[in-house]
Amino acid sequence: MTTVAGPLPVRSGVRFTPARATLVLGGLLLLVVAALAASALLGEYPVQLSRALSDPASPDGRVLFGLRIPRAVLGALVGASLAASGSALQALLRNPLADPFVLGVSGGAALGATLALALGLQAVAGPSLFAFVGAVAAMALVLAAGRARSSPYAALLTGVVFNAFAAAVITCIKTLLTPDRLGEVLYWLAGNLGYERPRTLLVGGVLQLLALGLLWAESARLNLLSLGDDEAASLGVPVGRTRALVLLAASLSVAGAVALAGLVGFVGLIVPHLLRLWLGPDQRLLVPASALGGAAFLVLADAATRMLFPVFHAEPPVGVVTAVLGGPLFVWLLNRREHPV
Amino acid sequence: MTAVALLSLLVLGTGGDPGPLRMLGPAPKGEVRRVVTLTPSLTDVVLALGAGDRLVGVSRFDERSEVARLPRVGGFIDPSVEAVMALHPDLVLAEPGPGNRQAVERVAELGTPVLLLPLATVADVLAAERAAGKALGRAAQGEVLAKELEGTRARIRERSRGRKPVRVLLVYGFEPLVVAGPGGFADELLSDAGALNVAADAASPYPVYSVERALRSRPELILDAAMVSGGRDRLRELPGLAETRWASVPGQALLHPGPALGRGLEQLFALVHPEAAP
Repeated sequence: MTTVAGPLPVRSGVRFTPARATLVLGGLLLLVVAALAASALLGEYPVQLSRALSDPASPDGRVLFGLRIPRAVLGALVGASLAASGSALQALLRNPLADPFVLGVSGGAALGATLALALGLQAVAGPSLFAFVGAVAAMALVLAAGRARSSPYAALLTGVVFNAFAAAVITCIKTLLTPDRLGEVLYWLAGNLGYERPRTLLVGGVLQLLALGLLWAESARLNLLSLGDDEAASLGVPVGRTRALVLLAASLSVAGAVALAGLVGFVGLIVPHLLRLWLGPDQRLLVPASALGGAAFLVLADAATRMLFPVFHAEPPVGVVTAVLGGPLFVWLLNRREHPV
Repeated sequence: MTAVALLSLLVLGTGGDPGPLRMLGPAPKGEVRRVVTLTPSLTDVVLALGAGDRLVGVSRFDERSEVARLPRVGGFIDPSVEAVMALHPDLVLAEPGPGNRQAVERVAELGTPVLLLPLATVADVLAAERAAGKALGRAAQGEVLAKELEGTRARIRERSRGRKPVRVLLVYGFEPLVVAGPGGFADELLSDAGALNVAADAASPYPVYSVERALRSRPELILDAAMVSGGRDRLRELPGLAETRWASVPGQALLHPGPALGRGLEQLFALVHPEAAP
């Protein structure tokens, strides 16, 4: 990740009014609901909806309620977290290339999970817990070492350096691993939505609600912060405190997402940018819109991985699908929208 | 912190016990008629038990012609829960591993019995044959399979007795160099066949081995069980390995821990002690 700073690629955007926000967010919410419904209906198992709904204990019902819906909810949580955090971090760090993993969270999580898998600590807890611990530790390190309050670039650089460090250690561990164990590590790192238990989803959901709620609450100050530290301070924004709060909320949210799904790339980069092209840079709208857009995008991408099973006899990691679908789509939209302006 | 972690990694090797042979989920109701296997070795077990007609799904790594037409339900570390459920099996046979734990547990929670059969050692294979036989209502055949393997081992051990042990390196892959280390079924069979596994000092059953260490250990025989030949010639040209005898392990009998191990052991003995041929 380079650290090019510059103006975010936006048009003037729609003006923020409560009515317009309600309309946009309502529309995106409908999209999320549609994506969840589509995801619940798609998969290898031929679910008969009538049978599943009338008898939840039937095989159809158990697949629908025990597999599909929890997995769709997981996708929505992870997608919302990555996209909303991406949007906030791009504004906070004044860098369009910032993605949710830039602050070292991905390196910390990957290191935690790799160590857990390599040392066979699954008996203690799944790699998720170790990934979360690793992500939080990395976040604490970056916030402490990077003088994050004083400059956005210090946090950014510390994060990038930490990720490179973690990648090197992971490569070292990988060379020590046997092929079977290596397969597990690579599979985890690629980013996958699995079948989490309802309790795990509940804990993850509460964490995301708090973290994303905090991001939204800070979004007006985040707007002012993007003017520059001095301007924001002169308008009464407590610059250091706001920056620390946003970094903390975004990092916690991403740590939770990575723990549940591994490193799902691209969602945190392209969803906020797509929405910014459409809605403009106002974070009061962009943070919640990104959360909803990211949720819908990841839920649909995950449904696509399940549809690919008959082709490959395997589900490709959802992170692969987000990049393959999202990359070209993003480049196309960026060119289409940028030129006429 | 990193140094400590790496050190413990080396000490513990691969770490992680896959867990014992056990049943997850409800007990099978009545006769088991629809079986899904999640690894080729367990497909071999079911076929050897004479229950191949009950297989309804296998892994994407299964290559035997008997199951060529069956639907695939994914791989060892990434079985698709939905693909398994869609086949309505009344028993799933799986080798436990941390990678497939979540999926396997979910299959069991949704009401399908799962028999977890570790296959790391010869003792595991014997137990798996007996347990799978029992679960499929073919306990006698399971016992026959296990007795056959035990009998072959006893016979080959007898033939190896008194012969000078041959220093052997069993190679699974050349780039990187992956060999049979200690603690796995291959190491046990090598010992049965009168071979001295020169990689017995490695950290795990399938270690990535140092080429220099391989040279230093002065193997008299290198057994090539690699499926990809890339890198073989480069290793072969190294000084010190010029006089070493090389032999290919035929078929996959030594790669799949299952009923073919007995045949694999006989082949192994013939390769290690060619002078013993009648």
